[in-house]
Amino acid sequence: MSGSLILQSVVLGVLLGGLYALLAAGLTLYFGVMRVVMIAHSAFLILAAYLAWYFTSQTGLDPLFSLIITVPLFFVAGVVMQRLLISRLRPATLTMMSVLLTFSIALVIEGMLGFIFSGTQRRIQLPYSGTSFEVFGANIAVVKLIAFVLAAASLLALYLIMKRTRFGQALRATIQHPEAARLVGVNTDRVAGYGFGLGLATAAVGGTALALDSTIYPSLHWHWIGPLMAIIVVGGLGSIPGAAIAAMVLGIGQALLQLPLGTTWAQTIFYVALFATLMLRPQGFFGGRLAQRF
Amino acid sequence: MTASRTVNRGVKIVGLLALIALALAFPSLAPDPFILSVGVVIMSYAVLATSWNFVGGFTGYISLGHAAYSGLGGYATALLILDAGLNPWVAMLLGAVGVALLAVPIGIASLRVRGASFVIVSIALVLIMLLAFQSWGSVTGGSNGLRVPRPFGPEVLRPEQHERFFYLHLALLAIALFTWWAIDRSRFGIGLKAIREDEDKAEALGVPTFSYKLAVFVVSAFFTALGGGLYALWFGFLDPIFQFSILVGSYMVLMSLLGGIRSLFGPLLGAVIVGYALEFFKAQYGDTQFHLVALGLLLALVVLFMPDGIIPAVGQLVARFRPQAASIREQTQAELAAQRRGEASEPDRDDAMAVSGEEARR
Repeated sequence: MSGSLILQSVVLGVLLGGLYALLAAGLTLYFGVMRVVMIAHSAFLILAAYLAWYFTSQTGLDPLFSLIITVPLFFVAGVVMQRLLISRLRPATLTMMSVLLTFSIALVIEGMLGFIFSGTQRRIQLPYSGTSFEVFGANIAVVKLIAFVLAAASLLALYLIMKRTRFGQALRATIQHPEAARLVGVNTDRVAGYGFGLGLATAAVGGTALALDSTIYPSLHWHWIGPLMAIIVVGGLGSIPGAAIAAMVLGIGQALLQLPLGTTWAQTIFYVALFATLMLRPQGFFGGRLAQRF
Repeated sequence: MTASRTVNRGVKIVGLLALIALALAFPSLAPDPFILSVGVVIMSYAVLATSWNFVGGFTGYISLGHAAYSGLGGYATALLILDAGLNPWVAMLLGAVGVALLAVPIGIASLRVRGASFVIVSIALVLIMLLAFQSWGSVTGGSNGLRVPRPFGPEVLRPEQHERFFYLHLALLAIALFTWWAIDRSRFGIGLKAIREDEDKAEALGVPTFSYKLAVFVVSAFFTALGGGLYALWFGFLDPIFQFSILVGSYMVLMSLLGGIRSLFGPLLGAVIVGYALEFFKAQYGDTQFHLVALGLLLALVVLFMPDGIIPAVGQLVARFRPQAASIREQTQAELAAQRRGEASEPDRDDAMAVSGEEARR
């Protein structure tokens, strides 16, 4: 009994960790290209979830189809945001002021969602919502699996873009050393804008995945931003593999802790890990040179 | 030059006296208890924003989570009165000392690395406190809230309560402002401002950056907790959702930034403007989600177009109509050469004087 319960928790943790990993990768991208802590990331996540819900309730189609609209839309929004807002800030105070700017964007999004869709809790009803199957005694809901596959596929796509394409090379060069990248002819401004767009696109994918199996409401994003920021600090600011590993470890840890502690207290694992990391290894467990100075 | 400085000083003193007189007279000027209670709320915001400005203004580290300290101050005060049976004012002070002690490990964790992690920890702290105080119902009352006993007996009526708490908040604000002013003029303050301008250079010049940041962080937490405790005593009721709200923390940031984080009275000015606007908005439109949008837009506008705040902006405007006081030397190369020649010939004159002196002695 207990064994299967633990297995069940690990499976749930992995499924949740995949989504955390994708979203944390987006946050890491912003930090990498611009040294920006993007508070509004989770607000965009909830926005995408709302758009998926609205799409389904209006057209009756599967929420996955909303990705066709939201991903390009969010990519463009990210580029516009970087070019028009973030790049206007003074370089000397960029880290602090960008926090405030993205924080205010988060407030505007939350307020508008509440204004347009009201504060009522929303949930997408799908024909396969309740379906699940068993693997070695662990119960896996189909919607959670779809969300995980979606997140994993996007993470893989992100990895391939970063490693295999010319643009990815330029993006990595911008993250590692912007001045050197400019010297070898990378247009770092444009690349940073696209990097921002990519980060926001992860929020679009994550939001659709979230909308599949959870109840959404406008202020939900505060429950996401804390864990996500803890993940990127634990993983080392700026390191995408670090963020992915930290997301998996903490996601599984959260699911396991839910057994003895209940869902509310299990969330504290993120904050405990955050404080422990800053006390023991302020640059994070997988961070490199970049994290040490920030 | 000295004359204009004395005039300047006179204007400042007169302005300060006028400000104090206005603040002291406010309760008798207020037409009804509601306006008076709005005044207390604005004063409370001013205390919190000024306390926030110890960290934000001196070091440039923006904390979005100062609501954690005000909330903890409020809860500590309430719990010390309820469970330990302490005098309310002793409880408030002890609570603030406790919060300041708690701020030490938090500061050590969050100030070790630059900027980004500080902000992340500050937000995480509010979220964790909200979680803890909502779930730990047996001690904190959980989501049902906690009733704080009133420090004055039942014979003191509502309007009189408001008036007393207005003066109490004013006194606390005066202490906080005085402390800020004293630090501003001290060696400690100069070190902190050096950290704000360039932390690497400050460290290279021998400023003990980490302990300075930690010290001012603890001072800030202490004053914020006092403000939270005093508010709790006045309001009489604590609910985790409002005490540990990230919005309260962002109000403090917005008020300070709007007024000007580098000026002594910046947070106070911001608190008066934003506090009044918030109360007006609430009275006019009720509690809709729209105040979030308004707050967000206002914060974005301030960050994008006026990151230095109103007071420096107005100061620059005034300075434009004054005689130019440029920091650049306005001298032509020829004038400079002439001056150098003058300086070069000076030692001769000194020698001559020394010679004549010797002659005189003989």
